[in-house]
Amino acid sequence: MTTAVTSVMPKIAPPPPEPAPAEPNYLNINYSLWSWLTTVDHKRIGILYLVSITVFFLAGGIAAGIVRLNLLAPDGAIVSEDAYNRAFTAHGVLMLFFFLIPAVPAVLGNFLIPMMIGAKDLAFPKLNLASWYVFLVGAMFGVWAILAGGIDTGWTLYPPYSSRSSTSNVVPGVFGVFISGFSSIMTGLNIMVTVHKMRAPGMTWGRLPLFVWSLYATSLIQLLGTPVIAITTVLLMVERVAGIGIFDPLIGGDPVLFQHLFWFYSHPAVYIMILPGMGVVSEVLTCFSRKNIFGYHAVAWSSMGIAVVGFMLWAHHMFVAGISFYSALLFSFLSMLVAVPSAIKVFNWTGTLYKGSITFQAPMLFALGFVVLFVIGGLTGLFLATLGTDIHLHDTYFVVAHFHFVMVGGMVLGYMAGLHFWWPKMTGRMYSDWWSRVAAAIIIVGFFLTFVPQFVMGYHGMPRRYPNYPQEFHVYNVMSTAGASILGLGYLLPVFYLTLSLFFGKKATGNPWSATGLEWQSPSPPPLFNFDEAHMPVVVCGPYEYALGIDQMGRGLPEGPGLGSANDPSDKHGESAAPGPMNKETHVVG
Amino acid sequence: MSSDPNQTPATPPGHNDVLGHVDSPPTLIMVWVAVLALFGLTVALSSSGMFGKYTLFVQLAIGTVQAGLVAYHFMHLRHGDRVVVLTALASIFWMGILFVLFMSDYMSRSRVMG
Repeated sequence: MTTAVTSVMPKIAPPPPEPAPAEPNYLNINYSLWSWLTTVDHKRIGILYLVSITVFFLAGGIAAGIVRLNLLAPDGAIVSEDAYNRAFTAHGVLMLFFFLIPAVPAVLGNFLIPMMIGAKDLAFPKLNLASWYVFLVGAMFGVWAILAGGIDTGWTLYPPYSSRSSTSNVVPGVFGVFISGFSSIMTGLNIMVTVHKMRAPGMTWGRLPLFVWSLYATSLIQLLGTPVIAITTVLLMVERVAGIGIFDPLIGGDPVLFQHLFWFYSHPAVYIMILPGMGVVSEVLTCFSRKNIFGYHAVAWSSMGIAVVGFMLWAHHMFVAGISFYSALLFSFLSMLVAVPSAIKVFNWTGTLYKGSITFQAPMLFALGFVVLFVIGGLTGLFLATLGTDIHLHDTYFVVAHFHFVMVGGMVLGYMAGLHFWWPKMTGRMYSDWWSRVAAAIIIVGFFLTFVPQFVMGYHGMPRRYPNYPQEFHVYNVMSTAGASILGLGYLLPVFYLTLSLFFGKKATGNPWSATGLEWQSPSPPPLFNFDEAHMPVVVCGPYEYALGIDQMGRGLPEGPGLGSANDPSDKHGESAAPGPMNKETHVVG
Repeated sequence: MSSDPNQTPATPPGHNDVLGHVDSPPTLIMVWVAVLALFGLTVALSSSGMFGKYTLFVQLAIGTVQAGLVAYHFMHLRHGDRVVVLTALASIFWMGILFVLFMSDYMSRSRVMG
């Protein structure tokens, strides 16, 4: 680690002039529906994914609302027990396979990876478009399964119930998951090849933004893990349709085999969901604390560490499923290991914040929320990795609270942070600063109220997936449902103010946050091929030289638009940050 | 439809240019026929009982040969540079993680903690 005090600023190149608005840009080059449906532009495909997954997020949210409302009464408030099973399954399948997994890689990754590394597009633009169509085809099968009556197995689809007994629409749902997996593989492959082959001159591996590192690690998991779930779902369908014994013990199968294969993918899939959020947080924390990232290499390699170690600990989901005691010991130990790279990230993020000029605009609020909630979610994961406590807590609401702290508190907040951070770049418009801060606060408060009571319920033994519960859990369930309603309101707010910003928001400059990455060096919204053909970027330094106040091309950072509107998140007056180099003695670390 | 921004016309066949090393149609057809023949052999073995309790191992071996043929010829591994070959080997190593940890359960399940 190098440490330098930069009270005397070196001479640096002046900030570049504000790039002229791109005429045409990627949004207005063609307005026809056909041009969107046949586009091979990575930015437009990112927007297509954004619209698609927002629809599935709302659908999954409605299913969650049904679940929480039903739990208002100990005997079920609004739906039958069978309908309850179908509601929580729909919530799980929609949120995991059709929102969380594609959220950051397919939306922000598609849009930003080429811009961040100084490329015109992803390596395989047509494959990129194909991935969106394949995703839609898979999603349509999922929607078919739900509209035809739903699935009642839970998102984990455990046989022999799913292969023998369930009368619900298992096959179309499983087939949808199978198909959408190929979309995930295509996106991962595209990002990985792009990062290897299409970096701008000077963009060495040690200068890659941490968002790129995190998506590279994510792509590794997508490429290596997704084929396993594809094979597993095919085997499940073969057993259910043809009666060939693979998992059902009545016909010679082994149900624990399914759990091994399922979790070999589905536990690393958790890291497909959380790693990109971690990349977003690394970008946002540095920008809004005007600090170089603390421990660049540690954060970058911890992403790879999580990706690799994440493949070796799946059986902690199966401690009470009848696996070998010796094997359980091994997996318990391996599960503890993943806490190490995760903690490395958190310590480095807090090191980044230390003595920073921190401002609390919406992306930063979401990122800070991510750090706090992820720490809670991660630490409670250690409870579940420990053999003894897991036997008590397995399949209780403690588990539900734990993974929602990681998935919703972590990933969804990371996604929101990224969406708010790069929204001006994606749309060319600023959104309401006040409303976005209010939304962040509501989401974080609503989240705590929803899921903290579930930790208590789980510790006291309330099982997950049960529609009925003893009276002693009533108050906790009411608190949880009340929190969910606040959370729902918090999620609806961005739908409104972000949509309104498209029509009424102030025009964004090329670099409204005075950030250092290459993506901010093109106009907002960017032109079709991202950068001026005659002046493709050449990288001369690392991605977070906030202390020196230079971007990756070695030029000074802009002073910001200085619009001075209280409704403008780029406003640098009042409590907002000073743009450009940090205006106080700064420790340059990492 | 937007044009492909990565299209670089008139690129000379280089080290990574797969199109410069495409197998001839007879070779590809021979490999294809071999894969189908091995498939037929797998089906035949499943009902013949020739190898008794070792049938599964023989069938897995045949499947491995099939996968190798596909990877080597159809997926152009034979023309890949070292990074590509290393990547392919890494995926086998990854499968090894699955099998080794998986067997840690199956091979020790009957043992009782004393």
